[in-house]
Amino acid sequence: MISNLAVLPIVIPLIAGILATLFHKKLSVVRIFSQIITVLNTVMVAYILWYIHQNGTVILESGDWMAPFGIVLVGDMLSMSLVLTTNIVALASVFFAPHSLNQKQEEFYFYTFYFLLVSGVSGAFITGDLFNLFVFFEVLLMASYAMIILGGGKVQLRESIKYVLINLFSSMLFVTTVAFIYSVVGTVNMAQIAQRVGEEEQTGILTTIGILLFFVFGTKAALFPLYYWLPKPYIVPNPVVSALFGALLTKVGIYSIVRVFSLIFVYETDITHQLFIWIAGFTLIFGAIGALSTNNIKLVVAYNIIPAVGFMLVGIGVYNSTGMSGTVYYLIHDMIIKAALFFIVGAITYLAGTSDLRKMQGLIHHYPLLGWLLFISAFVLAGIPPFSGFIGKLLLLQGAVEADEIMIAIIGLAVSLLILLSMMRIFIRGFWGEKDEKVVANKAAAKKFVMPIAFLLIFSIVLGVGAEWFIPGIESIGNDLMNPAIYIESVLKE
Amino acid sequence: MLFAVFLPVLLALFIPLLSKWKDKIHTGFFVMLAPLAIFIYFVSFIGTDFEPVTQSYNWIPSLDISFDFYLDGLSLLFVLLISGIGTLVALYSAYYLHGSERLHEFYVYLLLFMTAMFGVVLSDNVFVLYSFWELTSISSFLLIGYWNFKERSRYGALKSMLITVFGGLSMLGGLILLTVETNTTSIQEMIAQADVILSSNYFGLIFTLIIIGAFTKSAQFPFHIWLPDAMEAPTPVSAYLHSATMVKAGIFLVARFTPIFSGSEWFFIIVSGIGILTLCWASYVAVRQTDLKGILAFSTISQLGMIMAMLGFGTKAAIYAAVFHILNHATFKGSLFMVAGIVDHETGSRDIRKLGGLATLMPISATLAFFGTFSMAGVPLPFLNGFYSKEKFFDASLHIDVANANLWISEVLAQAIPYLAVFGSIFTFVYSMYLVFGTFTGEKKLDQLPVKPHEAPIGMLISPIVLVLGVVIIGLFPNLFNNSFLAHTAEAIYGEPVVTDIHFWHGLIPAFYMSVVVVVVGAILAIIRKSWSGIYSFIPGKLSFNKVYDYLLDQSEKTSRKITNSYMNGSLRRYMILILSAIMVCTFTVIFLTNGFAWDTSDLAPITLHEVLIALAMAIAAISTIFTKNKIAAILILGVVGYGLALLFVLYRAPDLALTQLVVETITVALFLLCFYHLPNLRERTELTSQKLTNAVISIGFGLLMTVVAISSHSTKLFDTISGYFLETSHDIGGGDNVVNVILVDMRGIDTLFEIVVLGIAALGIYGLIKLRDKKGAE
Amino acid sequence: MEIIMSILAGVLFTTGVYNLLQKQLLRIVIGTALISHGAHLFILTMSKLKRGAPPILDYDIKDYADPLPQALILTSIVISFGVTSLLLVLAYRASKENGTDNMEKLRGNEND
Repeated sequence: MISNLAVLPIVIPLIAGILATLFHKKLSVVRIFSQIITVLNTVMVAYILWYIHQNGTVILESGDWMAPFGIVLVGDMLSMSLVLTTNIVALASVFFAPHSLNQKQEEFYFYTFYFLLVSGVSGAFITGDLFNLFVFFEVLLMASYAMIILGGGKVQLRESIKYVLINLFSSMLFVTTVAFIYSVVGTVNMAQIAQRVGEEEQTGILTTIGILLFFVFGTKAALFPLYYWLPKPYIVPNPVVSALFGALLTKVGIYSIVRVFSLIFVYETDITHQLFIWIAGFTLIFGAIGALSTNNIKLVVAYNIIPAVGFMLVGIGVYNSTGMSGTVYYLIHDMIIKAALFFIVGAITYLAGTSDLRKMQGLIHHYPLLGWLLFISAFVLAGIPPFSGFIGKLLLLQGAVEADEIMIAIIGLAVSLLILLSMMRIFIRGFWGEKDEKVVANKAAAKKFVMPIAFLLIFSIVLGVGAEWFIPGIESIGNDLMNPAIYIESVLKE
Repeated sequence: MLFAVFLPVLLALFIPLLSKWKDKIHTGFFVMLAPLAIFIYFVSFIGTDFEPVTQSYNWIPSLDISFDFYLDGLSLLFVLLISGIGTLVALYSAYYLHGSERLHEFYVYLLLFMTAMFGVVLSDNVFVLYSFWELTSISSFLLIGYWNFKERSRYGALKSMLITVFGGLSMLGGLILLTVETNTTSIQEMIAQADVILSSNYFGLIFTLIIIGAFTKSAQFPFHIWLPDAMEAPTPVSAYLHSATMVKAGIFLVARFTPIFSGSEWFFIIVSGIGILTLCWASYVAVRQTDLKGILAFSTISQLGMIMAMLGFGTKAAIYAAVFHILNHATFKGSLFMVAGIVDHETGSRDIRKLGGLATLMPISATLAFFGTFSMAGVPLPFLNGFYSKEKFFDASLHIDVANANLWISEVLAQAIPYLAVFGSIFTFVYSMYLVFGTFTGEKKLDQLPVKPHEAPIGMLISPIVLVLGVVIIGLFPNLFNNSFLAHTAEAIYGEPVVTDIHFWHGLIPAFYMSVVVVVVGAILAIIRKSWSGIYSFIPGKLSFNKVYDYLLDQSEKTSRKITNSYMNGSLRRYMILILSAIMVCTFTVIFLTNGFAWDTSDLAPITLHEVLIALAMAIAAISTIFTKNKIAAILILGVVGYGLALLFVLYRAPDLALTQLVVETITVALFLLCFYHLPNLRERTELTSQKLTNAVISIGFGLLMTVVAISSHSTKLFDTISGYFLETSHDIGGGDNVVNVILVDMRGIDTLFEIVVLGIAALGIYGLIKLRDKKGAE
Repeated sequence: MEIIMSILAGVLFTTGVYNLLQKQLLRIVIGTALISHGAHLFILTMSKLKRGAPPILDYDIKDYADPLPQALILTSIVISFGVTSLLLVLAYRASKENGTDNMEKLRGNEND
């Protein structure tokens, strides 16, 4: 149904971001302002999600220009669940930020960038228009550029420039691809593209454009072999920025792949989706190898983004409702755990004074709670029950087996072990071992860091232990994704 | 049963509160109550009229995951072992662990483990079983790493976790395949569909994956290597997890799936083959060990192999013998571990070369060890339970049923097994004697011991005494638990009622002769052990599966570093080349596969000279940016391209675009000049010819790709565009005649709004870049 | 004409990518600018060229050029402008801070 609710999660952070510039030097004000707005926004998004659950998809035809001519915003279960998860991550971040950023960084518009990032990410999830998706990509990327260079020293600037260049390139490829699609089907509204592709046969050129589009999103999502830009730039900024990046940015890319390849390009799955399975396999393997290759704990976590994306692609590749549900579950799970992990390694780096694993030992004696949070998150990440990662992985692997893609399921299992090993190394080498008597524990700082981390991990645990509360919803999302007509109808028939 | 399973974890929640009284009463005494209560609860089920009990509690019904507890004879045996030994171990640990240790941590892990283990043996739902299975690995990891300040302890903890979690994940793969094949998550329902599974295409894979899970957990060859290193855990843990319970989870799993898998011949070949190999290898290697717990670890491995082998035989008698031995092994091995712990505790050493003659100093422990080892060795004495199951094992090994076998390997294996059984048992006898006599008899070497040895306090002795009493009582009255208990267990595995009567004396049957051979040859070998121990430098010599593990672990770091550094070298050029090549290869392939190239010249704008000239000028300008060495020139040439584009916009009926492009281009050129004025001039391009070539190939290829796709897209206009609507409504609804403007501010207003946001962020970002400088230069 | 324009845009992409693969920051930034130009030209080419008047409504004219791609290009030009400006300043600051404008010297290693 038509409702303004669809636009609120985009507009509220936008306004908040603009307001935050007005008193950017008054830190005490801007902090509390940001925290309150984020809490309110999260509550509101939760309400909208509930509303959608009760009443069905909400559509907003912006400026009252009927679809497909104006830009439509489509708040369905999938997009709104992701927006809610985004806000949960944002909520943890906004409480983590004051302890992690220095005063200058906060003053130089961190909160503005933060709100606009949230706005851009939410917009990317909600929009039903391909070109508008590009615009929201640019908003979130621009916010991320601004955040990554915030207060930058030389390392940060060096890595930022690579990050900006590669993303700029893929954005240009994105608009070009949109133009190609426009040429062939004469529209940029996703539902209408899907409808028109469905009416005609998915010709070779459409499949080709689809693959180009896949590579555009794949670059954002950090898939093999496009993820080279990811690890270093993600670890140089402040942990709170890393957490926002790790949790949100690649997920927008994978969401776009989910959307486009369940809605539009679904008629040549032998080519497209089979390719995805191969790419997923390599992404899983090389990502896990990357995570094992380093002693830099931040880099371990950054590399672990990659196999997670690989897992999500498996569900799209096998293209059945179990797999799709798995992808969605994993997406939500991964947004939360990645943020938590970046907070954890950020906190460790801050407290231990180094991110080099070889220079740490016995931290558990000083920071037991942090150590146990890391321990739990390692299992969440590796998909060990009863945590959220397991449920997502189970659905994905079941989906793979149902599609007779046994090989990818086995790779997925093997990679889980490697992921666990990469995380356990941090725990064993960093936290176990003899107490380093020279280290003076900074318990006060540790306590502040722990709160947002624990907040996020509670979600990871609830998503796992209380999976029953979410599975029916997620499965209905998975089913809807397998029936593009539902989406098309809800947009075009209003 | 739900309560029974989770009672330990519930208690664990209160452990931190108990630490208040830790100085007065050892936490171990509180902890003991949980398994004791559970033990009493489950004992009440024993009886000849026992029937399986099912209790279900929902967890995630949407995924068919629920706590379906299924208590049959098999699970009953295990829950009693877990709770019974658990009680004794908690009691023992109360004396073993000093109050100054981090006791609450220890007991939390231990209770966590108990819950996990109860869950494993009671769950009928495969995914719940798997969940508890991994929880046992995790709690075992924590317990082995309890003294994590020791390097060996960390090493052992990681090793055990990696190997058992590896097995767990493998098992998960098998279970997922099973659930997809049978459409159920209940093991009992799977058993009902055994024929579906056996005829499935994936049977081989399912079997392999699940068996790997069982073999890793039960330390079967070649996955046994984690168990000796797990001995770094405090001894109560070794006695409990690594001898009586957790390592038997693999046995449990195989037993659980026997009704399904035993329909395949490979079940016998793999399970019995690996089992008997494990028995022989581990008992042979055990003799080489010098650490008491090391000997016991290998002994455990070999005994597990023996039980595994018996399950593989699949005959009624063999399964009964396996079940009987699970019980017996728990009693004698548990007591031996506790005695080894006592020796360690009271002498400060577990090195058998430093021990000796302790019988006079520690008479009770020595007696207990005597019962334990002789039972383990299978010495034919009517008060040792080990003998009964050992003899049943021999007997079963002679009666393997391979009449229906199709594979030659089954026949060979069936022929070889009795000999291998004797071989393994001989070495079992040798290390048993070595263990007890090396420690308690011979000359005293008190000067080599850190502590002056004396008998342990009585509290510490209670648990091993209880276990040894078990050894003796079962030995004297072997039929005591037979019909009321073990028969149900065997029935649960075998599928039909199993009735057996156990006697000490069967007459001069072949199995008896086998026992005699074992005792005689074993005794001789034990006495002259020193004269032949040189053989170990040949076999296994330097061969060791530990080295494989160490190598793999080491390489997991080194190789992955090598691989990763080979492409993640921080070079933007490298990244771009890889990304672009991937895009090109895939897209060109797809064009080829889908016949995607299209060429349609029927609907094109006419070619005019001035446009071609502009295009040519732009192309030349663009190409010359590559060759310019002067930065100002390069920037201006870029400007030529930009202004050329603006001209094209004019020609192609896009006045707004042309204006915007002109303004933007001018500002951009100015910005370029501003920023790069202070930077070095362009240099000669110094790259190698090969690099130039690569660059050229990549860039031309990519340009070509874009052109090809563009031409094809333009040639396949399948639909009218939606623009007609904009032209129709712009004036009436939009209220403007400049349609582009109306689209921008009205129809696609959101685009424009956020385009402004992008500019705004860019402005703030640039402001920050310029204003906020890190004075130190680095982070 | 569309085909010639497609080729021209392809050339812009080619030269852009070639510059992007260079070491010197200035060349790289020029490369991105060329690629944006190429992209915009592609968008324009994808609408039918020269089929009617500029899309400014008039009573006499029936045929107009397709207005939507023009709107999209406009948005894209402005966004590219924003990104390019940021990139320029960033490139300037990065090369000043690191003391080199050679990307191959800006690789970094594991622990910094």
